[in-house]
Amino acid sequence: MTTTMPPTTSEPVLSAHGIRKSFATSDPPTEVLRGIDLEVATGEFLAVMGASGSGKSTLLYAISGLDRPDTGEIALEGKDLTALTEKEMSALRLHRMGFIFQQGYFLDNLTIRDNILLPALKAEPSGADAAVDELLERFGIDHIAGHGVTEVSGGQLQRASICRALATDPAVLFADEPTGALNSAMTEEVMTAIGDVHARGTTVVMVTHDPRVASRADRVVYLRDGDVVDETRLTGADPEQREHDLQDWLSRNGF
Amino acid sequence: MTMRALGRRMLSRDLRKDLGVTLSLLVVLTLSALLMATGALVVERLTAASNELFAQTKPPHFLQMHSGDYDTRALEDFAADHPEIESWFIEDMVGVDGSALTWSSASSGESGSMADSLIDNLFVTQSTDFDLLVDEDGTAVQPESGTVYIPVTYALRYDLAAGDTLRIDTGDEDLELTVAGTVRDGQMASSLSSSTRFVVSAEDWETMSGGSGVTSEIIVEYRLQDESEIPAFQSAYESEADLPQNGQAVTITLIRLINVISDGLVAIALVFVSLVLMVIALLNLRFVIRGTLENEVRRIGTMRAIGLPAATISGLYLRRYRILTLLGCVLGGLGSLGATALLTQGIAANYARAPIGLWSVVVPVLALLAVYVMVMLMCRGVLRSVRRVDVVGALVHGSLLGPAATARRARRRLRAARRTSLASAPGGTVNRRLALLTLRAEARQWVLVPLVFALAAVVVTVPFAVYSTFASPQFITYMGAPDRDIRSDVRFSDDVAGTADEVVQAMEATDGLSAVTVYGSVLRQIGGEEGWQTQAIDVGDHSGDGIQYVHGSAPGDDEIALSVLAAEAFGVDVGGEIALRDGGEGGELTTHVVSGIYQDVTSGGLTAKMQGEAPDDASAYTIYADVDDGLSASTVASDLSEQVPDASTIPMAEYVQQTFSYVTGALRSAALIAVVFGIGVAVLITALFLRLRQAQERPRSGVLRALGFSSGEIGGQTRLRTAIVVITGVVLGALGAALLSPPVVGVVLSAAGLGLTNFAFLTSIPLTWGLLPAVLALAGYLTSLVLTRSSRSDDLSAWLKG
Repeated sequence: MTTTMPPTTSEPVLSAHGIRKSFATSDPPTEVLRGIDLEVATGEFLAVMGASGSGKSTLLYAISGLDRPDTGEIALEGKDLTALTEKEMSALRLHRMGFIFQQGYFLDNLTIRDNILLPALKAEPSGADAAVDELLERFGIDHIAGHGVTEVSGGQLQRASICRALATDPAVLFADEPTGALNSAMTEEVMTAIGDVHARGTTVVMVTHDPRVASRADRVVYLRDGDVVDETRLTGADPEQREHDLQDWLSRNGF
Repeated sequence: MTMRALGRRMLSRDLRKDLGVTLSLLVVLTLSALLMATGALVVERLTAASNELFAQTKPPHFLQMHSGDYDTRALEDFAADHPEIESWFIEDMVGVDGSALTWSSASSGESGSMADSLIDNLFVTQSTDFDLLVDEDGTAVQPESGTVYIPVTYALRYDLAAGDTLRIDTGDEDLELTVAGTVRDGQMASSLSSSTRFVVSAEDWETMSGGSGVTSEIIVEYRLQDESEIPAFQSAYESEADLPQNGQAVTITLIRLINVISDGLVAIALVFVSLVLMVIALLNLRFVIRGTLENEVRRIGTMRAIGLPAATISGLYLRRYRILTLLGCVLGGLGSLGATALLTQGIAANYARAPIGLWSVVVPVLALLAVYVMVMLMCRGVLRSVRRVDVVGALVHGSLLGPAATARRARRRLRAARRTSLASAPGGTVNRRLALLTLRAEARQWVLVPLVFALAAVVVTVPFAVYSTFASPQFITYMGAPDRDIRSDVRFSDDVAGTADEVVQAMEATDGLSAVTVYGSVLRQIGGEEGWQTQAIDVGDHSGDGIQYVHGSAPGDDEIALSVLAAEAFGVDVGGEIALRDGGEGGELTTHVVSGIYQDVTSGGLTAKMQGEAPDDASAYTIYADVDDGLSASTVASDLSEQVPDASTIPMAEYVQQTFSYVTGALRSAALIAVVFGIGVAVLITALFLRLRQAQERPRSGVLRALGFSSGEIGGQTRLRTAIVVITGVVLGALGAALLSPPVVGVVLSAAGLGLTNFAFLTSIPLTWGLLPAVLALAGYLTSLVLTRSSRSDDLSAWLKG
């Protein structure tokens, strides 16, 4: 696997402006996102960091169209997500977005392979089988293809999650704490895989609280109380240096 | 916080949170309780009304009908020799054909004839000791000269009341009587009874009895010291050849039986429907409780973790179901009062207004208690699983199951996953394939729906099939009569043979009528195990009458065919021989081979048929004919009635309808209730199931939506799965009902003394086994359609979190 930095263009694949989102579970409603502006360039790897409750997952769900913001505009490849019907949004999610969640969220009545095949078959039945086999091999989990989801390790399951997200060749891969439930060895395994996806040109937007994981990104934005308070770009090929730079930035800003 | 306060808080929170589920459960429980209590109350009211009527009218323990001459001395001697007789008398009756009776209503100004009534109209004077004819208040009526008390059936049928007029054509003169009121008749209350009695003053009776257009009949009636002596007494009476006995002999047991058949069937149908509903309610509760426990597993884990005993926790949950069940029982109990009042209108009119007694309270309360106990036992059983909750499993994994059970479930899922392959699974689109695979994997969770729909299919179809069988013109198959279009009865006429001839000639002269067949009814004595018994035998050409024989075939020359009950009474089977005596002791003896046995519910189930020319000396005649296609049987019948007014000519369909009018009317209500409740409950439970299922499947649906499945497609999966399980349930239920219920219904009917051993439904197959189940299935599917319509676009993050 390679971890060389892919080219990024200045053209944003994803742009969000004035995103506000509140939850009505309390009275008055809690405003979780307070007018966030964010742009993600094509091929970019963006990490969103922040303390618990800062709104980072909410932001990911909002900009990926999983949740609807109260106000604001979101465009993916120029399409205004807030103006799409539920059906159009589903089609867009199928063809242009991939998701990785902390819990994996697999259907336990299907094998690992069928879980990955599911979106592929739906998007493009012809060639889905071959594409899935190639992904399984690429991420080193072809030997567990016929296993059930309870028979494999957390790391293998998250790699399967990445395969599933990539099965329809999306424009953007959204990852919500993909390593949150993994030990350090498995975290390394999964981040190498995500790094590989990015290296092949897929835009990645990842939420994490782990600086080590975030240091893989090109750019890190930091959220506090529903607002982007700062951001930094990480350069250089040495992972340890990148992690050191990020830790330094975080402590300098008191994050 | 005390446990009580915690319980209250949980209760009010649960009620608010799951209002839909709570209300659905309440409705199902209420309906079960309602039907159970109603069924029990109908039985109680019927028994009480019948007992009350018997107490007011004191019907005879044994009676013998007879027409023609008789020896009064022989009767007196017989009474003197039998000290078990408490009291006896001879009731003289005047029989008048319906066509000789016309009425006019003072209030509506309408008038009409009773020619269309098939029941024998008998005019009597009030008796003195027993077999009284009573008014609405239970008082024996004493009509003044010029007045008449008419049977309740006629008052209802022709809408007659006190002050209206009844005109009787006695053959010589018209006697005009004013209706003074209605009478209830302990002996002839049921519509299954073939006669009914009018009460007139002695003076008017004398006038009528002298008429040339009427017949004279008697009933010899006995009250015994002890009811248990009836069988021995009947044998003793029938063994005396010089006693009058050319008509039917009836015991109080038979009268009671006939009285309960109609409403008894309704009660049986209601109890049956309520029992099935109970099963549905129990299955449903089990599902809801399990679902609730699964949803609240973390809360249960927390309560266990802080040291609350399992019994206390399950007690907190049980409280909710106890309150719901109690409320359901109270509402159902209250509703049953109204439902019973509606269903027993006929009972109150025909029998007696029975006072509300201790049993009127105890019986429905016991029925409701049974519902309550069954539901509570079920709840306790399911809530026992709280004891098995593993605290770690509950808090960490959010699972009710302990480690071993979790591992077992994982293994099951694994097996399901390995057995299937998404790429090669059948079903068409990926969405459909996924729906089918998921259904297969989750069959255990979905099994409630086909079970409920199978039971609902039974509820919807069986009572309707029973009703339509009784209402079917082909029910004639069970009445020992041929399946023909028109029937003419000649019974009340001074010259029955001549009138029958007139009918035959009129029929033969009518265009579009064919296959005119005449049967004459002769009375003969048959030698059986209990001595000689009088039996009416239909003599005529039975070769092509289309009667279905349970055993054997139609009688040939010198052969006899018997009804099921007659064959039982005489202790013979097909191929056996019976001796026939004409004219009492010393009469001509002949021997006949039994050619076949058929089912017949008329004349107390005791009938017989012989092959031959209809004899000239028959006591009554029945003439049948077929009507060509395109002609209306009722038009032809009414033309013939006008031509020969002394005969009752009506379409066969009406004959069946009249004979069973009360039964079919009551059964229609029961069938309608069953159809409405069956479909309603199935819809309700589908809605409840799908709501709970959707809540449980939210994370899974969230994943699918994140993967690019639209909520419409996810709804489509639910609809497909619902359609499959609903159709499976309905098909299995309807098939099971069609195959298994006829013998069961047959057993119930023959237990009721209807003389049916080989019961099959006579119902429209496309309607009963096609349309009704289809409507049920459609209702289930439409419910899923409503529940899966994607109205809101909720945040998916909430779906993923469950």
